[in-house]
Amino acid sequence: MKSAAKKEPLVPAWLRSSRMIGACSVIVGIGIWQLAYEGLARTHYFKDYAIHHFLSSPLQVILTFGELYRSGELLRHSYFSFLEFAYGFLLAIVVGIPIGFIMATLKKINYYLDPWVSCLYATPLVALAPIIMVWFGLGIVPNSLVVFLGAVFPILLNTYTGIKSVRENLVEVVRAFGGSPLQLFFKVMIPDATPAIITGIRLAVGRAVISVVVAELFGAEAGLGFMVYFYSQRFLPGPVFVGIVVLVVFGILSFLALEKIQGWLSPWYAYQLRREARGMEME
Amino acid sequence: MLIQGRVRSDVTLTKLPILYRRFTGTKTRGRTVMETTASKLAVQNLRKSFRSQRSEGSIQVFEGISFEVHPSEFISLVGPSGCGKTTFLRILDGLIPHDDGEILLDGKTVIKPGPDKGFVFQDSSLLPWRTVMDNIILGLELQGVDKREARKKAERYIALVGLAGFEHHYPHELSGGMQQRVNLARALIVDPQVLLMDEPFASLDAQTREIMQAELLKMWNQTKKTVIFVTHQIEEAIYLSDRVVVFSARPARIREIVKVAIPRPRSLSVKRSKEFLDLADHVWGIIQEEVLKSMGREREEGVW
Repeated sequence: MKSAAKKEPLVPAWLRSSRMIGACSVIVGIGIWQLAYEGLARTHYFKDYAIHHFLSSPLQVILTFGELYRSGELLRHSYFSFLEFAYGFLLAIVVGIPIGFIMATLKKINYYLDPWVSCLYATPLVALAPIIMVWFGLGIVPNSLVVFLGAVFPILLNTYTGIKSVRENLVEVVRAFGGSPLQLFFKVMIPDATPAIITGIRLAVGRAVISVVVAELFGAEAGLGFMVYFYSQRFLPGPVFVGIVVLVVFGILSFLALEKIQGWLSPWYAYQLRREARGMEME
Repeated sequence: MLIQGRVRSDVTLTKLPILYRRFTGTKTRGRTVMETTASKLAVQNLRKSFRSQRSEGSIQVFEGISFEVHPSEFISLVGPSGCGKTTFLRILDGLIPHDDGEILLDGKTVIKPGPDKGFVFQDSSLLPWRTVMDNIILGLELQGVDKREARKKAERYIALVGLAGFEHHYPHELSGGMQQRVNLARALIVDPQVLLMDEPFASLDAQTREIMQAELLKMWNQTKKTVIFVTHQIEEAIYLSDRVVVFSARPARIREIVKVAIPRPRSLSVKRSKEFLDLADHVWGIIQEEVLKSMGREREEGVW
């Protein structure tokens, strides 16, 4: 009788990592999409119509990508979208973190700002974008402003929570050594709040990408959101999908990059999360 | 605020300048009192009460606490749980204010925390983003000592607490016992006049605790620091100390100061000697009495 240990597993080891399984899942999904397209194109329903006005296949998306890239159109749109994203996002970081700090440390100012922040956070961006277009016209500035409004609140609120939840026992250590408030701020509060702030920035990336598209749907002369809208109006799904794929890839890459930065800035944080997940307190 | 549910503490910078002013003393109460005795630390008639949260009025934590500590003496504080030992130690450090009485360290009134007192926290409270080395130099760094110089000085203390080779580890890579060694070195490096230790071995397992007790005595022998050690473990208190101060139940007073005449150096086997066990029995008797008393009072008050 063969022992169980000697049996060759059905799936080899290098294919069983979570990353490989994820990659396989995506590849299979794209394959199903391609097959479904091919199948639908041969059905009775689509016989008399040009299916490429309604649907696109992964292969066509790749071909369209090549065309748009060569013509320079894709780069132009990406460039505009990226500028809007970068301006709005950086402004959100530059404004959100200090305001979060101030709200967490100065109670009186928090009383004044809190209702405004709560209201603006609850306001749907989609409802706000048109009026910003009315005020500022078309272009990079109003769109960046929409991105800023979309991204600033996760950053601000996470900074606030991060500072508020600085561990009292660590604060006490600095006090016990006779540290000054400034030392306390730089040596304990900022480092202890850093993971929360970066989490806020990571959440903001997703919202900023959405905001770029929202802003460009309402009015723009260029940009990936504009491109998506433009071609969908002309029944050309190929470029629409290209735009979507570029946006998705950009979102995922920035999210992963920030995850790396978080791990690099606060290597202890991942450990703390694991401890807390196991139901133990770090303290 | 929107996410208030997750708030762990309410530390705000608003409070800090006020606290800081209180401790550094824009209105300094510090006056030098000529001491006739050669005591290192003198506590005179100390009283503390907290404002009660449930009813009007206040809860008396302790009152009329007076005792003196000689230079290089090892003193332990024991008492029934909840009697305010930790509160007392925090007041000695100047971390929280007291209501009445005076604390004199080398004849000077203690009004704020500072490098003349080393505090060893119950939970090791190491900064998780700093290595062992950088955690240990924190006190020097806060005093403005050059980092390179501080690190050089730290090497001696790392060796003293037996952490050589772990300088560049992060706290989460250390066991509980090792974290407490860092905690101890961090307090020792500022060369404090008195070392205040708040149940530092409470969260360690029994074996590690025994080893740490023996090591602590060794380090104490080398540094000759004056130590005030709070614990709820009677054996620990007797094994380590020259004298054991026994607190009563709340409102705490000093029930008795027990002198431990067991000669030093003490090996761990001392713990099984008749002399040791008799002392432990004696202290345990007092505490048991106090616990029963406070339970009786709570029953009358309807708490129990």
